[in-house]
Amino acid sequence: MAETLLWVIPLVPTVTALLMFTTRDRRILSAIDVGGSTILAVLALVLAREVRVGGPRALGIFRIDDLGLVFLLLLVVLTLAVSIYTVGWLKQALAVGNMKAESVRSYFALVHAFVATMVVTVLADNLGVLWIAMEGTTITSAMLVGYHGHQHGLEAAWKYIIVTTIGISFGLFGTVLVYAAAAAVPGGVAAMSWSAIMKVAPGLDPSIVRIGFIFVMVGYGTKAGLAPMHLWLPDAHSQAPTPVSALLSGVLIKCALLGIIRFQTIAAAACGPAFTSMVLVVFGLTSVVVATPFILAQRDVKRLLGYHSVEHVGIVVLGLGFGGPVGTYGALLHVVNHGVTKALAFFGAGTAIARYGTRDMRVIRGLFAVAPIGATFLMLAALSLAGVPPFSIFVSELLVLRAGIGHGHWLAIGIFLTMVAVIFAGILHHVGAMAFGRPTAAATREPEAWSPLLAMLLLAAIMILLGITIPASVDGLLRRATGVIVG
Amino acid sequence: MSTETVYTIVDDLGALLLFTMILILAAGQIYRAIYAVAAQSFLIAVAGAVLAMATGNTDLWVIAGITLAVKAISLPWVLHWVVRKMNVRREVEPVIPVALTLAFAVMVVVMAFHLSGSLGPVRQAITGNALPVGIALTLLGVLVMATRKTAMHQMVGLFASENGIFFTAMAVTKGMPLIIEIGVILDVILAVLVMAIMVLRVRSTVDADIAGLDRLRG
Amino acid sequence: MSGERSFALVLLEMTLLVLFGPLVTGTIQKLKARLQSRQGAGFLQPYRDLAKLFRKSTVQADTASGLFRAIPVLVLAATVTAGALVPVVRAGTPAVPIGDALMLLGLLALARFLTAVGALDAGGAFGGMGASREMTIAPLVEPVLMMVVFSTALVAGTTELGALAAHRGTSWIFAWHAADFLGVTAMLVLLPAETGRIPVDNPDTHLELTMLHEGMLLEHSGPGLGCMLLASHTRQIVTLGFVSALFFPIAVNDAGADGSLVGAGAGGFVLGLAAFAVKILVLAIYLALVESSYAKLRLFRVPQYLAIGFVCALTALALRIL
Repeated sequence: MAETLLWVIPLVPTVTALLMFTTRDRRILSAIDVGGSTILAVLALVLAREVRVGGPRALGIFRIDDLGLVFLLLLVVLTLAVSIYTVGWLKQALAVGNMKAESVRSYFALVHAFVATMVVTVLADNLGVLWIAMEGTTITSAMLVGYHGHQHGLEAAWKYIIVTTIGISFGLFGTVLVYAAAAAVPGGVAAMSWSAIMKVAPGLDPSIVRIGFIFVMVGYGTKAGLAPMHLWLPDAHSQAPTPVSALLSGVLIKCALLGIIRFQTIAAAACGPAFTSMVLVVFGLTSVVVATPFILAQRDVKRLLGYHSVEHVGIVVLGLGFGGPVGTYGALLHVVNHGVTKALAFFGAGTAIARYGTRDMRVIRGLFAVAPIGATFLMLAALSLAGVPPFSIFVSELLVLRAGIGHGHWLAIGIFLTMVAVIFAGILHHVGAMAFGRPTAAATREPEAWSPLLAMLLLAAIMILLGITIPASVDGLLRRATGVIVG
Repeated sequence: MSTETVYTIVDDLGALLLFTMILILAAGQIYRAIYAVAAQSFLIAVAGAVLAMATGNTDLWVIAGITLAVKAISLPWVLHWVVRKMNVRREVEPVIPVALTLAFAVMVVVMAFHLSGSLGPVRQAITGNALPVGIALTLLGVLVMATRKTAMHQMVGLFASENGIFFTAMAVTKGMPLIIEIGVILDVILAVLVMAIMVLRVRSTVDADIAGLDRLRG
Repeated sequence: MSGERSFALVLLEMTLLVLFGPLVTGTIQKLKARLQSRQGAGFLQPYRDLAKLFRKSTVQADTASGLFRAIPVLVLAATVTAGALVPVVRAGTPAVPIGDALMLLGLLALARFLTAVGALDAGGAFGGMGASREMTIAPLVEPVLMMVVFSTALVAGTTELGALAAHRGTSWIFAWHAADFLGVTAMLVLLPAETGRIPVDNPDTHLELTMLHEGMLLEHSGPGLGCMLLASHTRQIVTLGFVSALFFPIAVNDAGADGSLVGAGAGGFVLGLAAFAVKILVLAIYLALVESSYAKLRLFRVPQYLAIGFVCALTALALRIL
């Protein structure tokens, strides 16, 4: 059963993408969209149950373990939320001419192709397949980033495809090196599968793996938006259509993180955890520090959220770098929290942008008076992103912090805390100004559409739930996933 | 073929690859860069054939053939076609002077050799100098992309980077799995097609080079 | 490995180089003409030019000093001496220690320097401009030649050209190390610069403002100009011989088993000479092809072009050391 699911799950979004070409009717397209995402989510939940009962499963190039499951579940939940959000968003976008009616179906098809490639990255056991799928996400999402077709969109798309493709070729180089090390071990494996390499990992030549890991860090780090390779991220996030921004920020950069984690486990076994920890902490801190000034000085709300993703990816990597069960658990929890919260924030921002017709935060004022429910959700997301208790991000940041203290990374913690405090103030300032104050004349006042609100409600519920209490099933999953990494 | 001979031939091909890379770095006209990168891909295909002969690995023959057909002939042809379609013959000066770029290049090459010289038993895993040459090509490809402001040059730099990776991948003792290599090449083809579409689209709407756009910042 | 080259052989080789220098120029001119679908002048045209010049009397600028008269002779002497250092028919160290590859490069640089001094001394505008340009290019060319020599010398453990050639032996291209490929490419890039040809310089014109070497010869006339021309012919064949001794010493070593010219036998001598002729012909064809298929570079582009050779040579050296 579970083995069958391993190849059925990547097929679902692929088939959904192909189905899009059977019709031109917007309503039917939206129905296929939501339907496909729902089936995907249900199948993923079934797979989760199977894995919980029967342990990791493998089928050819695919393999699912608890670690992959964390990312798969995040992926399907956010895809579903995005599908629901798109129903209302699309109607509005068509009305104001942001989207053309004849390009709607290719848009949907691309979104599902994008989801399919991301599903493959999560399920891939073969490191080569992981790379191929990762490059596939670049190709499909580059088309989506430039979808509006205007000059800025194409510029962002070009920067995105060039920077990530070049970055990811470093990832391929790292993969080749790790594979070379594995193939050279006496009795080593001639396959590139992660599980097979993990078995011989302690015997790999540390010097090759070390170079390989740094290449992978740079490569998949580019895709994950780690500074200083993050250059594509704010542009792509701000220029992409809002649902795509949510997928990019919520899921895609997390998939790249999964790639990093896979190599981290190999490298930690081959060269000792001190080396991987050092590399991860350096990259994590750089990201947090680099993102801070851009967040403070930002005027474009979607760019703000983009830079904010850079900061949070930095926190996740920092957690992985501090290591140990606590740090790793915190990092994985942060992956989930940030994914959900950031998607929610993009939805809220998207609603505001639709109302005011601009992304400039100096124009967006008094959102509470214009769209009270949407503004509430945006406010909640912003509070959570800033790290206010009792929201979920506060919990995971605290765990990362505790891991750092436990391992005595005092300097790193000092810098980290300072930056987080500064960003806290910056975010609250920006969003507070947007939510309150007198509405500008530019705003349109209509009743709020139900579907975006439903999507936001779904995500907000998850966010608040994870903040107040982590359900036993989620906790168990995260613990087992931590076990996969820490060993 | 004896192991020594294979090492020598791979090393010699590596030297020629470095030479084509230097030509790409120094090329003013985009046509020259495209020819140089096509020659580079051809050398990679030759390296694949040599290694296939030496190791008796039939997969490598297939890979060498695909490399020849795709990277040495088809993709340069696509690039050539796009350049003709764009109809630009003007040379665009790089961000930093070419002489300085070449100086950087020497440093990168020396660094790559120094790095892999410090590795020790790497010769067991990867044939000859394929590792330092591969690292150098990959980094120099990035250097091309960083110093050039035209889309076509950036694509050529991307190719060169990929070539470096392929060279190393072929020289890994047991060879990469065939299916992975084919998947990688497919990805490269798709990426190039998408890039070509974007370049032409920007050209037709705003009459500018897509890589020269710099409105998004901060 | 063979032994030493006798002094008589060295002198003979030097004479041969000087004698056949103009023929190489003539060949290149003829090849170029044929490539451009022209009939062109005969192979022997440079000899006729020289003969004509040596019959004429000298006209000299009023501003020129006495040094100016001596310059052509000095330049020719330096170049011909450089020719003595190139092994032609046989490899192996000379019996008399006369100098190595660095000495050769030094002598060529000296000739270049004297030419520039002469051009400045005459006081003509063109001469000064040509000299300044030549001196801009020279620092880019000479270190590269030096590096190529070093990259081969590191393996052989000597910088003497005959010994370098002997060390390489009769090996053919398959025994080349990776650094040799880069060294050859560096040399091929630099050959047009060193021999004063397109794309760096244009030997066919005295009128273009972009000329380098010819600009420096404008003030010379009669036998003086003849000496200068003979010097540049010799310089060309010496450079080509230098390249072939460094990288293609085929058959050079086969000519004889012991040190003496007599012992090598006339057959060996002829064989070595024929091999040398073939190698020079191949390089001449290369130069003619380059000249016909490229345009002269703008002056400020020249350093960029030479930088390619520079990087190749430096990489070759790095490959040897690392």
